[in-house]
Amino acid sequence: MKKNKSILILLLLFFVSCTSVNYFRVNVEVSRKALFDINQFKEIIVTDFFIKKEAESFDLNQELVNYFTTQMKQNLKPEISSRRISFPDEEIFKDKAFWKNILPDSQETAIFTGIVDYTQEIRKAVVQTKKKADETFQRDKAIEERRFYTLNLNFYFIDAQTGEVLYTQTFRETQGYKNPKQTGAFAFYDLADMVKVKLFNNVLGTARIQQRYLIKD
Amino acid sequence: MKVTTMHKKFTFYLLAFLFLPLVFSSCSTNLQSNQIQFGITAAQRGLWDEAIFRWKKAVQSYPDSAAAHNNLAVAYEIKRNWDEAKKEYETALKLSPNNSHIKTNFENFMKNLEAREEEDTNKKNEKK
Repeated sequence: MKKNKSILILLLLFFVSCTSVNYFRVNVEVSRKALFDINQFKEIIVTDFFIKKEAESFDLNQELVNYFTTQMKQNLKPEISSRRISFPDEEIFKDKAFWKNILPDSQETAIFTGIVDYTQEIRKAVVQTKKKADETFQRDKAIEERRFYTLNLNFYFIDAQTGEVLYTQTFRETQGYKNPKQTGAFAFYDLADMVKVKLFNNVLGTARIQQRYLIKD
Repeated sequence: MKVTTMHKKFTFYLLAFLFLPLVFSSCSTNLQSNQIQFGITAAQRGLWDEAIFRWKKAVQSYPDSAAAHNNLAVAYEIKRNWDEAKKEYETALKLSPNNSHIKTNFENFMKNLEAREEEDTNKKNEKK
């Protein structure tokens, strides 16, 4: 019996040595270069945005200016300020002279502006519902409603000295809400947050974490 | 009765004789990969220079160790030494082409490298 036990221990030792984990995971920080180096400027001026369609319950332009001015102050090195500018039409973004004349004596200053489109959509669908035990009139199908908000933002960084567009990018974010009382103003902040993360990733060049395997043998 | 006891003793020693070399051979493999293991421990504590030193030693002693080359590649990647990392990954893959961990590491590394090169090209074109 004792000898059998010894053999079993030997076998166990052998299998343990063969089946132990032979790799380890480590995190690698993968840096992404900024697509547009925002820190080359001393000052960024956030102007009004060209609104394609006004939001129903809030001042979309004012909210955008306030939101991005605050976020840029918190996250970017250059000095941030805001200025009111009225736009005649969408084509103004291509007009170098217009932008050049806004801040004629400025140096190392960028203008941050853009075109905005904020839409709301209600989608309805027939969905299966759970039957309640005490319900006399049992239903297993119902119509459910979802509110979808879409924020379409086309940003422009314009050189205040030359009026040239230095960097432009479009972001489109959509979010659906089950709550029928969801307001456009609240949804706007969720969507603006999503856009902000992507925009700042592009202008700051943030790092991503990836995993690599270290092998034992 | 005596014959049976003798027989049992013989079986035991025979089995022990067969299995012990297996156990020790696996242990000796572990002894061989001591540098690799030491490097892993160092890497897990963030001591990547020490890890590189250990894995370089392992590569010198065992140039056919895919693990040592792979780990060295990861360390070079962390140190942002892309050329050396690529070289080591390629060697590791040559030595062990079917190792899924090395393959995954190399694929991810190459994706990042290509993205980085593309960004550099775009920046150069923008400057022109």
